[in-house]
Amino acid sequence: MSSTNIKESKRTDFLIYDRTMGIAAMEGRGLYFPSDMTLGANGKIYVANRSNHPVPRGARVTILDLEENFYRVFGTFGREPGQFIWATGLASDSNGTIYLSDIETNMISVFDAEGNYQSRWGTHGADEGQLDGPSGIAFDAEDNLYVVDSNNSRVQKFTRDGGFLSSFGSYGAGEGELDIPWGITVDPKGDIYVADWRNDRIQRFSPDGEFLAELGESGNGDGQFNRPTSVAVDADGYIYVADWGNERVQVLDSKGGFVQKLRGEATLSKWAEEFLNANVEEAEARARSNLEPVLDLVSGDPHEESAQVEKYFWGPVAVKLDAENRLYVTEANRHRIQVYVRPG
Amino acid sequence: MARTDVELIAHLFRRAGFGATRGELEKYAVKGYEATVEELLTHREARWMGDDLVRRYHFEASGMDGSMDPSLPWLYRMATTDAPLREKVALLWHSIFATANSKVASPKSMDGQIKMFREHGMGSFKTLLVELSRDPAMIVWLDNQDNHNGAINENYGRELLELFSMGVGNYSEEDIKECARAFTGWTIGNTEYMIMRSQRDSIWPYGRIGWHFEYRPEDHDDGEKVFLGERGRFNGEDVVDIICQQPATARFISRHLYHFFVADEPPVTQWPYTPPRDPEAIETLCAAYYDNDYDIRSVLRVLFNSDFFRSSDSWYEKIKSPAELVAGVIRVTGDSQRPRLKVADQNVWIGDMGQQLLNPPSVDGWHQGVEWVDTGNFVERLNFASGQFGDVDNPGVRAMISRIASNGEEAISPEQLVDACLDEIGAISVSNETRAVLVEFASQDGDLSVGPAGPDEQAHGRIGDLLAMVASTREYQRT
Repeated sequence: MSSTNIKESKRTDFLIYDRTMGIAAMEGRGLYFPSDMTLGANGKIYVANRSNHPVPRGARVTILDLEENFYRVFGTFGREPGQFIWATGLASDSNGTIYLSDIETNMISVFDAEGNYQSRWGTHGADEGQLDGPSGIAFDAEDNLYVVDSNNSRVQKFTRDGGFLSSFGSYGAGEGELDIPWGITVDPKGDIYVADWRNDRIQRFSPDGEFLAELGESGNGDGQFNRPTSVAVDADGYIYVADWGNERVQVLDSKGGFVQKLRGEATLSKWAEEFLNANVEEAEARARSNLEPVLDLVSGDPHEESAQVEKYFWGPVAVKLDAENRLYVTEANRHRIQVYVRPG
Repeated sequence: MARTDVELIAHLFRRAGFGATRGELEKYAVKGYEATVEELLTHREARWMGDDLVRRYHFEASGMDGSMDPSLPWLYRMATTDAPLREKVALLWHSIFATANSKVASPKSMDGQIKMFREHGMGSFKTLLVELSRDPAMIVWLDNQDNHNGAINENYGRELLELFSMGVGNYSEEDIKECARAFTGWTIGNTEYMIMRSQRDSIWPYGRIGWHFEYRPEDHDDGEKVFLGERGRFNGEDVVDIICQQPATARFISRHLYHFFVADEPPVTQWPYTPPRDPEAIETLCAAYYDNDYDIRSVLRVLFNSDFFRSSDSWYEKIKSPAELVAGVIRVTGDSQRPRLKVADQNVWIGDMGQQLLNPPSVDGWHQGVEWVDTGNFVERLNFASGQFGDVDNPGVRAMISRIASNGEEAISPEQLVDACLDEIGAISVSNETRAVLVEFASQDGDLSVGPAGPDEQAHGRIGDLLAMVASTREYQRT
């Protein structure tokens, strides 16, 4: 599977935009610099949020559903049990228990589906079973937890209780090597996909960690990546990548062929509409604005472009699929989730 | 390696950068002084920790929403870049074109202004002033979005002449009005919505939207103007061109460069009444300004290679600004591999010492020199520097201790220990009195014994304590 065989494609209808969820909020209902989301066994959506340090507000997990019904938040900023500093990865096991990784405290915290703190594990270091910068986390079908141990350039496999099982990966840019990896997913067949962040590629491994393939290379063309953060794979083998540095999402087929790229087309969420309905002056000023200006961005920097065009993805940190193959794209810098669906 | 060579390079890196380790200084001393100056002046892509890593860890520094402090990414740059002069020049222009997020309330735009200084700060002063006039943070800071054809707002026009280019006494009130007329129509896009959200600190619904410059020809006063004795239908670029030709501008900018890089001048408000400390140096810099089409890089080349800069008389003559102090300490003590939460805390210290970056107290900027040090600030400075150097868990400190303790001697005398610490912390030369105090401190526990396995925890503690003492000296706190 070589990136050099990637074909140009003009396909634009593989995924179509469905809706936007969320609103910026430092507490309660809403999202704040969200870092990851996961779908619980109860069908609810869990979103991990960051704070605006040194102000601790913002850090929490928000529970909502597809219709933007808000349930509750749990967790606060800190180092005590039930707290977290920089929540980075979120995953649900088959029972609906929620696991959260913290890249600063090097711990995995466990909560029940209602958000009640259960336990935590993880010690800082580079020895077997220790963690340095845990990022993306994902369960396999047997409820083993894969943890991207980013600063140790490896993936470690644990039991749900934190018992070390195995690991794979080492620092480098060769096959099977990793450079500050971030996101991870397990496909329906059990293969593991890792967003090899600073190598600008996705790598696929067998369930026991054997290197199988690499997808993509550095760049901003079709099938190329700039610091990919997250990857999801559906039952048909289609691969969805949060191409963070290019501020877009790409879809590849099971062989790595380019299918589609998305730049983002957010509209007002239910919560956003409620805000603007209650704040008429802002709504009117917004209505008189051109929110899609033609910009003379000399640098051609997608980050700057996304800062100025609100509908574009800005900081896509997580791509997740639900059972109906809806794709949820979590955007850290826009405090929201854009949802895309496959027609038919 | 002659110590004086290393010390001269150390002086250069304290002024044109944020200090350097002994190893870096030796490398540049081999290269030679003039070649090192050229390397510092070269405009190239800098190697530093990287926006990608900072944004990966500090989400808030990526989105730059609402009331956040936008200065953290800059601190990472200052502490890890291999092109420190670009950051130092950005600090220079930030201190002159002082813009505060307290009013602008758009962290992304503030960050954008520093990015602009980084890009244009060492190029043509004319280009820099045009870019400054187009800068969204500056437009809002000095209300140019309210400067309309037929209803001028003089704020930007006044400060452009008074604080940014010529100085008081070199223009008339009529020149200010004509300057303001030339900049009518220079505003930001979606003005009403952007200003409303900024004033309300509204992050809703999806965080702030970045600002961009917009020129509105229908709101520009295209009529004839008389500005500094010249007549024409001037737009903003024409006014900047005329400003850059003025001898007052050459003197004003040269004095600022001398004040920032060479030796403290009195506050800018006294400049019309107080001659420069070294008039000959100012004339030399003015000549370089004109000889090179207002090119700041060329002026700096002359400055760094001049006798008035290189002379040991100017060493340790300036007090480090809080930003210089904190960035310099992190640079040699910290971990440049990954962002850490504690760097965000260290960034807060800069404000506690009296210089909250991107939030100067007024359009006059900060009062520098001795005013950096009052009783409260002084304690903060000492606590910060000695705390960082005394923390032997800091990777940079551990590396320094390892080198100090591996000099081939089993027992290191207090005198050797003091000299090694002064060297490692950045080739600092201290007065005889200061050295005597340091030796007395180091002598409390006699010679330092280092076994074949290297320094033990006790040795780490002793050397760390001595490094902390060195960081508290008059010489370390100065530049």
